Amino acid sequence: MTDSAPELDPVIHAQARLRVMVTLNTLPEGDEMAFPSLKDLLGMTAGNLSVHLSKLEEAEYVRIVKTHKGRTPVTYVAMTKRGRAALEDYTRAIRALLDTAGGTA
Amino acid sequence: MTEDGERIPSPEETLRVIEQQRAATARALQPNPLRMYVPWGVAWLVGFTAFFLHYGLHGESYAPIGQMQALAVLMVAQIVAGSVAAYEIVRMSGHTRGDNQARGTMYGYTWFAGMVLMVLIALRVSPLLPPDLSGLLWAGGTLTVVAILYMAGGALWLQWPMFFIGVWIAAVNGVGVVLGAGWHALLTAVLLGGGQIAAGLWMWRRS
Repeated sequence: MTDSAPELDPVIHAQARLRVMVTLNTLPEGDEMAFPSLKDLLGMTAGNLSVHLSKLEEAEYVRIVKTHKGRTPVTYVAMTKRGRAALEDYTRAIRALLDTAGGTA
Repeated sequence: MTEDGERIPSPEETLRVIEQQRAATARALQPNPLRMYVPWGVAWLVGFTAFFLHYGLHGESYAPIGQMQALAVLMVAQIVAGSVAAYEIVRMSGHTRGDNQARGTMYGYTWFAGMVLMVLIALRVSPLLPPDLSGLLWAGGTLTVVAILYMAGGALWLQWPMFFIGVWIAAVNGVGVVLGAGWHALLTAVLLGGGQIAAGLWMWRRS
């Protein structure tokens, strides 16, 4: 374990949630992704994805919209501004870690 | 270990995960160039080759193909290409909703309006023209709509390849219209049909 690990955002610092964030960050602002598409893109089970999404929603990094298409319930997920900023900070922190590691090696 | 019991990956690994996931998502959300560009390329290559053989470069046909037969070949090939592209667009738009989808819907109607108006104008004017100029009006007018909409599509989605394909279509179309029906058909078949096939394969290899 490195000393700098605690500086990394613990909500994002789990590979599954990081991948969720990166996937949603690919969408242009104002767009939402359908839950089944997100699940397929990530190769996760619905249950597993739901758990990670609620953690991200608690941190206000993603917005979950439940609605209906005809009579079938559909769920859409989108990244919030806060989420985009958090992912940017996280990526910057990881790059900084890498630079430090590269400098001392 | 994180609170989820996952091993903490190294920074290198993390950056690799970010890049892989970003690339996989982009691939899934962007049209597959093999379905968007290559079928159009094939349609133009086959269809305009038929027109070229009909017109010839010096006013004599190179093969016994009538104008209507050439038109039939081009239309059938374009309908196939259009269906494949429409399937691809529907597949893509199923993943997301929001501003981008609204943009796509408006863009789709713009294509429809452009093509309908082009057909209306050509229907009104072409009976007054000799056959080769009437053919040039149809082909040149259609390609003008296509060129402008590719360029506009590039602007909408900030896709430089799409924009430049539009510029390429506009340039070849302009030169062809100046040179006449036979040259227009030849240049369109080789440079635009062949060019779209090449561009589609190149984009597919890069993605």
